[in-house]
Amino acid sequence: MTALVSRRDTFPLTITVLAFAFLGLFLLYPLLNVFSASFIDRSGTHFTLANYARMLSNSFYLGSLYNSLLLGVLSTLVTIVIGVPLAFCLARLPIPGKSALLALAALPLVLPSFIAAYSLVLLLGRAGIVSRFLRDIGIPFTSIYGMTGLTVTFALTLFPFVVFPTLAAFKAVDISVEEAGQNLGSSRWRTFWTVTVPIVMPAVLAGGLLVFIDVIESFGVPFVLAEDKPILAVEAYKLFVGETGGNPASAGVLGVLLIICTAAALLVQRYYLGRRRFSTAARRTPPELVVAPWLRRLAATYSWGIVLIALIPFFAVIVISFMEFRGPVMHPNLSLNNFRDLLNQSSRPLVNTLVLSTAAAVLAALIGVPIGYAITRFRSKASDLLDVIAMTPFAVAGTVLAIGLVISFNSGWLVLTGGWLILVLAWTVRKIPFNVRASAAILHQIDPSLEEASINLGVSPLMTFIRLTVPLMMGGVIGGIVLTWVTVASELSSTVVLYSGPWATMTIVMFQALEGTGAGIASAAATVLIAVTVLPVALVYRLLRRHELGMM
Amino acid sequence: MTAITIDHVSRSFGTVRAVDDVSLEIRDGEFFTLLGPSGCGKTTLLRTIAGFADLTAGQIRFGDRRIDTLPPHRRNTGMVFQNYAIFPNLTVGGNVAYGLKARSVPDGQMRERVSRALKLVHLDGYTERWPHQLSGGQLQRVAIARCLVIEPEVLLLDEPLSNLDAKLRVEMRAEIRQLQQQLKITAIYVTHDQEEALAMSDRIAVMRSGRLEQVASPQAIYRAPATPFVAEFMGTTNLLSGTIAGRDGETLRIQVGQQEFRAHGDGRQGETVTFSLRPETVRLLAPGESAPAGWSVLHTDLAHVEFLGAITRLDLAVGNGATLRVASLDVLPDELKARGRISAAYDPRRVTVFRNG
Ligand SMILES: Nc1ncnc2c1ncn2[C@@H]1O[C@H](COP(=O)(O)OP(=O)(O)OP(=O)(O)O)[C@@H](O)[C@H]1O
Ligand SMILES: [Mg+2]
Repeated sequence: MTALVSRRDTFPLTITVLAFAFLGLFLLYPLLNVFSASFIDRSGTHFTLANYARMLSNSFYLGSLYNSLLLGVLSTLVTIVIGVPLAFCLARLPIPGKSALLALAALPLVLPSFIAAYSLVLLLGRAGIVSRFLRDIGIPFTSIYGMTGLTVTFALTLFPFVVFPTLAAFKAVDISVEEAGQNLGSSRWRTFWTVTVPIVMPAVLAGGLLVFIDVIESFGVPFVLAEDKPILAVEAYKLFVGETGGNPASAGVLGVLLIICTAAALLVQRYYLGRRRFSTAARRTPPELVVAPWLRRLAATYSWGIVLIALIPFFAVIVISFMEFRGPVMHPNLSLNNFRDLLNQSSRPLVNTLVLSTAAAVLAALIGVPIGYAITRFRSKASDLLDVIAMTPFAVAGTVLAIGLVISFNSGWLVLTGGWLILVLAWTVRKIPFNVRASAAILHQIDPSLEEASINLGVSPLMTFIRLTVPLMMGGVIGGIVLTWVTVASELSSTVVLYSGPWATMTIVMFQALEGTGAGIASAAATVLIAVTVLPVALVYRLLRRHELGMM
Repeated sequence: MTAITIDHVSRSFGTVRAVDDVSLEIRDGEFFTLLGPSGCGKTTLLRTIAGFADLTAGQIRFGDRRIDTLPPHRRNTGMVFQNYAIFPNLTVGGNVAYGLKARSVPDGQMRERVSRALKLVHLDGYTERWPHQLSGGQLQRVAIARCLVIEPEVLLLDEPLSNLDAKLRVEMRAEIRQLQQQLKITAIYVTHDQEEALAMSDRIAVMRSGRLEQVASPQAIYRAPATPFVAEFMGTTNLLSGTIAGRDGETLRIQVGQQEFRAHGDGRQGETVTFSLRPETVRLLAPGESAPAGWSVLHTDLAHVEFLGAITRLDLAVGNGATLRVASLDVLPDELKARGRISAAYDPRRVTVFRNG
């Protein structure tokens, strides 16, 4: 990629400086504080490794590290085992209703996963609807708490991470490569293993690593389902906000361990996959395979089965939210009481969610899009560094970032704790990697000579960005804002550390209801959250389609 | 109305010297072409003038004004891109008005200038069209109108015709040339198509590996190439190597295998030289026909013959396995084969001798 304008121009420099300032203050500085909290003794002045020694010799906390890693590996494996065949079916076999199925399969990515976890508790928990029913008819079923429940939940909510890249890879296998393999005399099966699998493997691994990182960073799902099994992100939270006043040093140690796990996974990805192409440049996409009817039925059942099973928890929680609750006990009568109770409590959390998520989504785009612009259009050493830093939030669990923000901004020259801004900042920082990647992807579709033409016509680089590039990127940017909005609205891990009194969000209402007995209110809150997530996505999906058609 | 001075300009990418110490004077109102093989640095040189590539060394001046220190948007150049670079979100009128808006031209005047520019490129009436409704040639015209409307000091064109089909390319090159003459604007044109360069330019610079190989008028560059590279790059030629056997007044006698060639030029006896003799300058002599005064005659065997309709191309054996390619109008292969030995004549003044190479 060539430099767009001469080095003398101040526009890329301005973006880079501002981005460094923002990320330095609200990402690097808090992380530094987490690190230093973990390395400083009780007097608060001396370097020490005692915190690490103490935590790692404690079998409970060592167990949390072990459990998190085990959970990460298990969930990744199960996801791959479920996801790869699904991807293959969607790519190469005739499945009835394929486009609907593809749209539905993407849904678990935007739906809040801790709601799926909560729904599983309502259904299969100790007092769950299904559990009790099973026991009533004499089947000994205790509950799905622990590793099983966690792995199932993660596999069912994260499988799209594996399915979509793998699907693209299966489609990108150039048919002539496969044919060449068969021409050379290998059987179909052998061709699959020696030609197709090596091409698809990098995509599977890339998706798997996303799953691994997401699992390790997850707070809500283990909080709901882990019960007495210690999990890193949850224990870090408990140590930090703990009833006994909070222990930043110990929480810091767990936070650093978390960062090490995710950063290691990212490094593996960079070094193992970085230089590989994910696909051959397919000139002819492989046609759907012709297979026996029973195989076709099997594939259809499998594909629809997985996707529908993944959506059942969300569906169930919606149904439950319309049931009547008397105390903790559900009665099979339709009612809107849960929603009335939810709003009677206060409508403030809903307003907070709507307003603050909007602020964060817009801010993340305002910061992420220029960064994406700088790193795609003005390559330099500074922009390469900016690229790395802008990706770091991806490797930082929300819990850890939030802890860092609290340590950094609860006293001193800039106090943010207790207000709404700290929530917006945390969410913004967390969504910057997505916004940067998304805008970089959009920019790769826009020929740089358009911007050069504009500059050549006398429009400064800054005005070119505003008057030409931004309008050209608009469709994609709006899509990015909505996706950010949706994920931020259901964000729990940082919110739970950072919120205070009046600034509780819908996720916090759910979280509090989880701890109490208000299953009715919790499921109503879940339903509201689901609606809040699905509606904008559906709207934008349609809007963008029309927009694209209009441009054609 | 601008002369351009390119003064010892270099531009490197890492260790690649894309432009290597280039100095050029482009005259006011001149149509100047940068010509050369792929990767020789034409685009890079053009982009240093537009401001999209920084100089590693040197200066660029428009008249007396140094411009390489200005940011690209303040250089007042008009650049036409290979892929047109038409803004897809604006109409034809919007595209052409884009640069005027940046200059805060009042509305009424803007409309008038836009329609004048569109008329110039024969697109009157297309103001409200969207880019996706236009053909490649029309898009390129919009791109040209968009540049001309801001009245740039120089027009920079980077292979503007390479995405068009052959017929349109020929039409458009005449149109661009005519437009440039009409507006008397200084234009720098990049191409790797030598025919385009010859047809359009006042002067041509042939580039090779970031350096200037030769700068001259189309006729001079074709007739008197300065280096074997230029001779070969500009059309087809015979590049032969031989030893100078002696000198008769102004002409050298050059021994190539068993054949002796004559050429105007300099060289010492015993020196090995390369010389270029273009196929179309060699004339076949009919049996009994004598060569024009001052011409040299070769008697050789026919090595190969190809009938291409209007012309017949033949290779004459000149010894040592070397052949001389000749293009001849209006002879038939059968006739040639029947002749046995072939007599061919050429004017020694049309032979270009390169020393030390
Ligand atoms: N941004 C860049 N980074 C590194 N090398 C570059 C860059 N731009 C050009 N080069 C190198 O500089 C040299 C000249 O490139 P340039 O694009 O000027 O060639 P060109 O003469 O325009 O070729 P073509 O006819 O193919 O367009 C080439 O070796 C090219 O690889
Ligand atoms: Mg070029």
